[in-house]
Amino acid sequence: MKSVRIIALKKDRKKILEHLQNNSLVHIRSIEEPKIGFVRTDTSAQIQQFEKNEVVTEQALKILDKIAPTKKGLLASFKGKREIVSEDIQEIAVNSAKIIGICNKIISLEKQIADIAAERVRIKALLTQLEPWEKLDIPMNTGDTASTAILIGTFPKMYDEVSLAKTLAQSEPDLIYEAEFLYASSNLTCAVIYVPKNHKELAENALRTIGFTRPLNPTSKTPKVKVKKLCEKDKGLVQKSEKTIEKMKSYAKYRDAIGDTQDYFHFRTEKYRVIATLDQSEHIFILYGYIPEEDCGKLDKICNKAAECIVEYEEAGEDAPVKLKNNAFTEPAESIVTMYSPPSHEDIDPTPILAFFFYLFFGMMFSDAGYGVLMVIATTILLKVWKPDKKMYNNLKLFQYCGYFTVFWGLVFGSIFGDAPAVLYKMVTGNAITMQQLLPWPTLDTQKDALTIMIMSIGFGLIHILVGMACKFYVCIKNKKYAEAFFDTGLWMTMLIGFAVLAAGMAAGELMMNIGMVIVAASAVGLILTQGRSKKGIFGKLIGGIASLYDITSYISDLLSYSRLLALGLTTGVMAQVFNMLSTLMGTGVLGIIYMIVIFLVGHAITIGLNALGSYVHTMRLQYVEMFSKFYDGGGKLFEPFSLSSKNFKIKNNDNDD
Amino acid sequence: MNGMIFAILAATIATVFAGIGSAKGVGSAAQTSMGVLSEDSSMFGKMLVLTLLPGTQGLYGFIVGFLIMINCGILGGEAPTVMQGLSYVAASLAIGIGGMISGFAQGKAAVSGISMCAKDEKNFSKAMVSITLVEIYALLAFIVSLLMVISIPGIKM
Repeated sequence: MKSVRIIALKKDRKKILEHLQNNSLVHIRSIEEPKIGFVRTDTSAQIQQFEKNEVVTEQALKILDKIAPTKKGLLASFKGKREIVSEDIQEIAVNSAKIIGICNKIISLEKQIADIAAERVRIKALLTQLEPWEKLDIPMNTGDTASTAILIGTFPKMYDEVSLAKTLAQSEPDLIYEAEFLYASSNLTCAVIYVPKNHKELAENALRTIGFTRPLNPTSKTPKVKVKKLCEKDKGLVQKSEKTIEKMKSYAKYRDAIGDTQDYFHFRTEKYRVIATLDQSEHIFILYGYIPEEDCGKLDKICNKAAECIVEYEEAGEDAPVKLKNNAFTEPAESIVTMYSPPSHEDIDPTPILAFFFYLFFGMMFSDAGYGVLMVIATTILLKVWKPDKKMYNNLKLFQYCGYFTVFWGLVFGSIFGDAPAVLYKMVTGNAITMQQLLPWPTLDTQKDALTIMIMSIGFGLIHILVGMACKFYVCIKNKKYAEAFFDTGLWMTMLIGFAVLAAGMAAGELMMNIGMVIVAASAVGLILTQGRSKKGIFGKLIGGIASLYDITSYISDLLSYSRLLALGLTTGVMAQVFNMLSTLMGTGVLGIIYMIVIFLVGHAITIGLNALGSYVHTMRLQYVEMFSKFYDGGGKLFEPFSLSSKNFKIKNNDNDD
Repeated sequence: MNGMIFAILAATIATVFAGIGSAKGVGSAAQTSMGVLSEDSSMFGKMLVLTLLPGTQGLYGFIVGFLIMINCGILGGEAPTVMQGLSYVAASLAIGIGGMISGFAQGKAAVSGISMCAKDEKNFSKAMVSITLVEIYALLAFIVSLLMVISIPGIKM
């Protein structure tokens, strides 16, 4: 990684930045304060405007997805983005104002629909209010006639003619009235009361005391007419809403264009962010950045083609970003490393080691040739058909390699969709057979040879841990920390190797055991002598050294952790066998065969889902917890070049260097 | 008299107790993840992975239970003696108790992991690894139960 400085005339700023963004070579470095004599441009206003436009497009897209959803299959997410050529961006830029207009229109239409919905709720409330008045055949605000007062209203109680007469007789025995009941329920009675005009006041007082109230918003039409009118209005609103939705749907054809515009404004936001980091004087500007060493020549070419400018390189400092470089076999595992943390300046790139063990352990846990073949076929088809972008490509590749190792371990453990071949053989011939007898090569049975596989798992674990420690050793030597390399790492490595020889000696014989003992004892003495070296006084040093031997427990627990290789491998095998057995329960009749196929498919789908997840998670844990803890710190920054990073399309790579 | 009833009891212990642990763990994790999904449904994949992590105990218990059934004459093998039946019970206690309690603990860890991941999706791998730290104890219990169950038919008691 080199740090780079580009100095050019201000009038060429746009051109140079565009070329840099198109070629995505440089990781922009922002220095806090400008150099003396230079100023920074405040671009926050523009950035805000662009971001606002991005939000508008985002909203419009969300609304369109709701109104006119595109049919997306489950597999569509693997599909690569739409491809455009870089010349198209010009066109998108020209159209952007129009598209933003359309987006605003979509948003305002959405608001109209919401308003209509609110209005309909109001109408519905009015209609429920009017419901009890349905039988009233005069307007609700009917006034008095020449001689009669008309009182229209409600009681908060159930009344009929008899009970009302009784109640009124108690307070106003003299009152003359005629009542017409329109509606009565336990907590509401709607009534019209007719009284002679000279009794009006008397009647009003008497009625008020028993809770008679006039309706809240009386209308000048009869309730029936009013209801009809409201219903018509509601119908009109429904139509209007449908029409609005139709109109919005007609904008669905702009979906891609809106996506393009969103990305266009994202590009511009990024560009203005970069402009804010430039040191500018009256006539020139300086851009700071990082660039991988191999791209320097390319950058020179691009800059000189774009405009008159000076490009200077320097060795990058410690806070430089890292770009991982790996071959086709190991590159897919980069995402696993970056998920933990990208390597810092002092780390080595652990990807190659991680990749191999990741595939190996995944295969050992998933361990079924049938499933492995399925994985390989599925990923191969997806890679061919969808032509996914880089990230998805690597993820698919990761699972493809895992698939190959799964096939390998499946064959070693004699598992092809569990014991499906043996079960089928038994169904056809009636003779029981085991997978061991069926397969022409020697296999290990996860159940019968569990102990062997357990020892094997821990053996792999030992190798895995030793490789991790060897990396630590190498890093220490590289950084000239010799004491740390030989005493802290080297002695533990020999100790672990000693234990391994000792364990092998238990099977192989006395001599090997003795050799192991000697190695272990020598390492222990070495550790006692060196581990207390930072302590003061001979006594402190000795105590520190002896106490350090206690670390052996952490190594033992690390090693035992690898027994999960056996446990998960066994889980896959047994689950598959369980479903195979269940599928044969119904015999060999027509129904039995149908039942068998259904149970076989569903059962193995469940097994694949659960165990693939388990294998993935546990492989990752073995890498992160058991191996990375030995040598890897992470905490670095990834190299993220200033580029056209788009969400909705991908720019076709036209590598025309001329 | 043979030890069939004890073998059945053993299969039940292994399946049910480990299942209780997973059910409770996955249940509380699922509740939390649904809360997160109601805010942002695009996290479904990640939430699903974190929710499923405490589900393995039940699986281990089921496998031990199933192997007992294969060995003891229910789905194959020969009926065990009384002592063998009791040995199955003893063997199934490891995954029964270990699976149940580690299921509870892993469920709690999963709930915290889900909230952590909801705050920042980048925490996903850290959450995942932290939750699987609990898993090893269920795995150890499983291996112990399993090795015992496999070898019991060969031991004459």
